[in-house]
Amino acid sequence: MLSVFFLRSSERRGWRAWASVALWLAALVALVLYGMFGTGLFFLSTLGTVFLYVVLTQAWNILGGYGGYLNFGMVTFFGTGAYASAILFHYFGLSPFLTAPFAGIAAAIAGLLIGIPTLRLRGAYFALVTMIITFAVQILVLSVPYTQGALGIYMQPVGLTPLGVERLFYFLFLGLAVLVTLLVYAIEGSNIGWALVAIREDEDAAEIIGVRTTEVKWIANAIACFIAGVVGGLYAQRILYLEPTGTFSFDISLNVVLMAVIGGAGTWQGPLIGAPLVLLVADALRVTFTSEVNRVIFSIVVIVIALFIPGGVMGLLNRWRQRGARPVSAPASERAD
Amino acid sequence: MVNQIAIIVADGVLLGLIYAIAGVGLSLVLGIMGVVNVAHSAFIMLGSFFAFELFRRLGIDPIISFFLAFPVFFGAGIVVYRALITRVEKAPQTQGLVAMFGLMVLLENLGTIVWTTDTRVITVGYTNTSTLIGSMVLANVKLIAGVLALLLIAVFWAFLRFTLTGRAIRAMGQNRSAAMSVGVNVRQLSAVMFGLGIACAGSAGVALAMIFPFSPNTQILWLAWAFLVVILGGLGNVGNTLIAGLVVGLIQTASTAFIRFDYVYLVLYVLLAVILVVRREGLSRTARRGI
Repeated sequence: MLSVFFLRSSERRGWRAWASVALWLAALVALVLYGMFGTGLFFLSTLGTVFLYVVLTQAWNILGGYGGYLNFGMVTFFGTGAYASAILFHYFGLSPFLTAPFAGIAAAIAGLLIGIPTLRLRGAYFALVTMIITFAVQILVLSVPYTQGALGIYMQPVGLTPLGVERLFYFLFLGLAVLVTLLVYAIEGSNIGWALVAIREDEDAAEIIGVRTTEVKWIANAIACFIAGVVGGLYAQRILYLEPTGTFSFDISLNVVLMAVIGGAGTWQGPLIGAPLVLLVADALRVTFTSEVNRVIFSIVVIVIALFIPGGVMGLLNRWRQRGARPVSAPASERAD
Repeated sequence: MVNQIAIIVADGVLLGLIYAIAGVGLSLVLGIMGVVNVAHSAFIMLGSFFAFELFRRLGIDPIISFFLAFPVFFGAGIVVYRALITRVEKAPQTQGLVAMFGLMVLLENLGTIVWTTDTRVITVGYTNTSTLIGSMVLANVKLIAGVLALLLIAVFWAFLRFTLTGRAIRAMGQNRSAAMSVGVNVRQLSAVMFGLGIACAGSAGVALAMIFPFSPNTQILWLAWAFLVVILGGLGNVGNTLIAGLVVGLIQTASTAFIRFDYVYLVLYVLLAVILVVRREGLSRTARRGI
């Protein structure tokens, strides 16, 4: 029943494709209606966080999912954006709502600084450097005077009721999530999307047929970092107080990878499934377990998925759908992969 | 002045030896098997706590733990190889990377559950003693850890150089299919190689615990050091890794003498970026574009 969500509409425009579009739209309308009429502060806030993670995970998905270059330090760019808008507010009194694009640009610059040396190379250099760079950025933020170190930066609250504030960010992040999902959907069918997939599948072959692999990776990374920075800037306004350890928390990087891997990296639906799944389960578990136990559970899930179910939930659904479409006794060669 | 420089150099060399053993396991597993073991530093952390627990509960000296850790972590490495690596060996590299990332998070958080995030130190009888060599005062723990590290590297080098197994492992690193066709049992040797890599991490963890404070959630820092050593020294070569470790150690002590302690890490990262830009294969000649 649910599988109608996940049809590739570009493949054939049958009734199932339209049903899939209709179902996604229905889900969106339901979320909009809930945002307008729902009054549960907790649910509005939790859903707001879900949307925030959808945006981050979609951004990660561009290079990580389609291109196969894993970013294990998404929080570096998210935090750079948050601090950029906080500094602009602190010293120039500019509202993060206005400066969000600049936060994105700051993060994109950080992304280029890290991407240019590491993405020229093949293999795991990018993954390793993004993984260890967070620590350096944290130290930098702690030591540089502009960021006020461990003291942190306070932001000015928006002059609205608590419900109003929650609704504001609910719709802000929902809107961004829709926009970024549309962007990723567009990228999936575009030249750059195919170039990224080619890089993931076989970088030598991609280069030989004329894909400018290095440039494509740089662009994809810069776009992803820009998005992360914009969300970070808005996040600064949401939590109102930034300090280095919390803002550059490894948890955010980890969550993004978890959500993408569990939902299904390299598909535009993956983050839409992964983000709510991980966050809602984590919230449910938080009642009974500490965050460490939580992470132990999720890391085991990630290992299991990497070993046995590559493609996550989307991979499972696709396989299940294909099994229905094909004769049961597929040739052994096809079954192998 | 001369004395000061001598101390900086001696300190740097001793630290560098430690960095070299932190990096050598990563370098060999990467260079010979092509496995990007991002969980390497998590095993270093476990090595530190292995020494910590043995010392706290049984009063076993870290020097003995250093030798005990090797077989214990070798076993752990074999288990990880059989459970994880064999399943992702043929899959795209990203899949293996995700699996190892999961393992890293798993180990770090299991560590946090067992030992909390408190920073620990191992204080043995000789911790705060020092030796006067010439006109230099050197901490005994550093000397001991440095000697142990040098010993480990020497044994490793000799193993790879002179034993039949070592030669087979090197052959496997040079050309896997050719090694297979002349009768090398690639699967079994890969398991041994990975076990040795993890064993190195475990012993390195013990040596680190003698000198530095440690906690489960700062293990990623050691990945940074180990990775820097690997990038600098190239892949799969013990000698180059040793030199790279020494260079990193010297740079660290030299920069600590001039700038604030925190900024040393930044120097490290700038160095990393510069090396990646300038020489993509590290400073050695082992040219390999992919990890």
